[in-house]
Amino acid sequence: MANGASDAAHHAHDHKPTGLGRWLYSTNHKDIGTMYIVLSIIAAVVGGAMSGMIRLELAEPGIQYIEDFQFYNVLVTAHGFIMVFFVVMPGLIGGFGNWIVPLMIGAPDMAFPRMNNISFWLLAAALVLMVMAGLTGSGPGTGWTVYPPLSNADFHSDAAVDFGILSLHLAGASSVLGAINFITTILNMRATGMTLHRMPLFVWSILVTAFLLLLAIPVLAGALTMLLTDRNFGTAFFSPEGGGDPILWQHLFWFFGHPEVYIMVLPAFGVISQIVSTFSRKPVFGYLGMAYAMIAIGFIGFIVWAHHMNAVGLDVNTRAYFVAATMVIAVPTGVKIFSWIATMWGGSLRFDTPMLWALGFIFLFVVGGVTGVVLANAGADMAFHDTYYVVAHFHYVLSIAAVFAMFAGFYYWIGKMSGRQYPEGLGKLHFWITFIGVNVMFFPQHFLGMAGMPRRIPDYPDAYAGWNMVSSIGAAITMVGTLLFFIVLFRTLGAGRKVEANPWGEGATTLEWAVPSPAPFHTHEDTPNVEAQPAE
Amino acid sequence: MAATRRRNLTTAVTLFAVVGGMVGLAFASVPLYRLFCQVTGYGGTPVIETAALAAATAGAPMVTVRFDANVNGALPWRFRPAQAELTVPVGEETLAFYTARNDSEVAVTGTATFNVTPYKAGPYFNKVQCFCFTEQRLEPGEEVSMAVSFFVDPEILKDTNTTDVKTITLSYTFFRASDQDGAQTADAPDGAGGKG
Repeated sequence: MANGASDAAHHAHDHKPTGLGRWLYSTNHKDIGTMYIVLSIIAAVVGGAMSGMIRLELAEPGIQYIEDFQFYNVLVTAHGFIMVFFVVMPGLIGGFGNWIVPLMIGAPDMAFPRMNNISFWLLAAALVLMVMAGLTGSGPGTGWTVYPPLSNADFHSDAAVDFGILSLHLAGASSVLGAINFITTILNMRATGMTLHRMPLFVWSILVTAFLLLLAIPVLAGALTMLLTDRNFGTAFFSPEGGGDPILWQHLFWFFGHPEVYIMVLPAFGVISQIVSTFSRKPVFGYLGMAYAMIAIGFIGFIVWAHHMNAVGLDVNTRAYFVAATMVIAVPTGVKIFSWIATMWGGSLRFDTPMLWALGFIFLFVVGGVTGVVLANAGADMAFHDTYYVVAHFHYVLSIAAVFAMFAGFYYWIGKMSGRQYPEGLGKLHFWITFIGVNVMFFPQHFLGMAGMPRRIPDYPDAYAGWNMVSSIGAAITMVGTLLFFIVLFRTLGAGRKVEANPWGEGATTLEWAVPSPAPFHTHEDTPNVEAQPAE
Repeated sequence: MAATRRRNLTTAVTLFAVVGGMVGLAFASVPLYRLFCQVTGYGGTPVIETAALAAATAGAPMVTVRFDANVNGALPWRFRPAQAELTVPVGEETLAFYTARNDSEVAVTGTATFNVTPYKAGPYFNKVQCFCFTEQRLEPGEEVSMAVSFFVDPEILKDTNTTDVKTITLSYTFFRASDQDGAQTADAPDGAGGKG
């Protein structure tokens, strides 16, 4: 790359701030990305510990450890909030998005570096508020969906739910500011010659995600504000005694909530596209189809929300529409899955650790997608509603597929971020243990759900004992895998092999591989020119 | 660089406007949602009709209207229909009664939500007068008879989706009004709680 020399020349007066100030006041997209990733890892340990407690209690019928059922509700709620808002979103969007998007498009930094700083610290403050919610009174036991009347002042009278609402407000503000930053950066600061149709798919995925955030989060903010005033200032948006309607909350929540699941998984699609292409040493098959499939998923994601509400008494015509619209999502999603397979077809495949995680992602996402098509049928969903079948479905697509994409991205980019390569053998071991663990944990939950086991309840009849024990054993295996991740992390940072600019060879064509590893504090100070590169 | 900076600011201002618009839309959804239910009869919301229909045509088909009454636990009232059901000609305005009694020692104001099932009958179920249009205040121990006047729109006979509707259930739920001193009876319909 032509600007490699100028980068090196800059090093002499590379004013890298030091000490605490470097992080507190950071306006550098790489440092902010790193902070997002660290926050995501910390939150994942907390949220993961909560799921560990849940699986421990559910390992056997009867009540073993958690005698306070409200505490169990709080665990379920906090696990959901933390995993969604403080693990997956900061990891994929804030972390990899901040780190990689400016590198990939040849921008020196994000469009609004100071706004980037406040996005991160708002999220950190939100996490503090969420912890305070858990420690206040009896805690928020509402589930992550915060449905009234359970979440109103009659049933959660202390300030716990208010803290939770304020936490989500801050996390939402953080996401909206981040989204505006990403859209502006991607639209205005691309390398010379990088038209929208030549952007890497990871950049596409972040762009579409940012638009979803922009349109969905304000609706959540509005609904949360209504709930807050219902709880504290005597309004009656969601209480029928004042002329309101609790169903309105569900409409507003899911108008946000359904796009939210694509907000979590679209960046994962982007990561997987880069990795599959790199390790097949081929450009992505059907590049334009892949980009527009993401746009289609994002668009349809906004018009299917009521499939979460089949049990509230929607009439049959409405349900018929939402069934059909929901099924349609399988089409662009199928385009993506088949394009990944077609990318690998005839490719010169290498099964390094990032590729294993990417293949794991594709497998898990297909399993979760198939159960999603089952659940899309309103008739079937009336039976599966609030059972472990639903739990298994969304954990396959979100919790484990999205987390697999995060691990894939971690192994793919850690060399670029830290300048040191991960240990290959340990990375593969980490993959296999986790892959076995999550499948042993979540696959049996399909059987439990089909047999009618309801979610969010700490006890169950003896008939469900067998598969619950299997599921809990899977959780234990997964925990071993997570421990292994920390060993990998410390081995990489402490004793990893120094890595060259591009450790992946000819398959890695995007601009981040053109800068040295670790990526210098300032990169792309002269806008690179990619006109000479072949379009994908 | 300055050009990029200006373009960035323009983009950001536009995007902030989009965010503001979406927040506005979220709040606008509250009245829109109510309006949508009232206009379309969605979710069994009956139509509020201020002008009564002329007389029913002779020999019109009959439809059975069943009456249902519920009281929220926070409201110390008894509330029941005076008649379990009425079989009326389609298109004829009919008067039905409910009785409510305040069992408590204090005056209480209540407000009723309503809808009809099957939901698809909602657009054809017209209310001309109803106690549910306003809040009701009952003195301690007071018992009142409350009237609802309605008719079933003859259009229901022309809709192929509603040919199987022979019985319509009209349901009310009385809640304790949030505003306990706002009892009035002469207000225009404010659409207290059309359900979606």
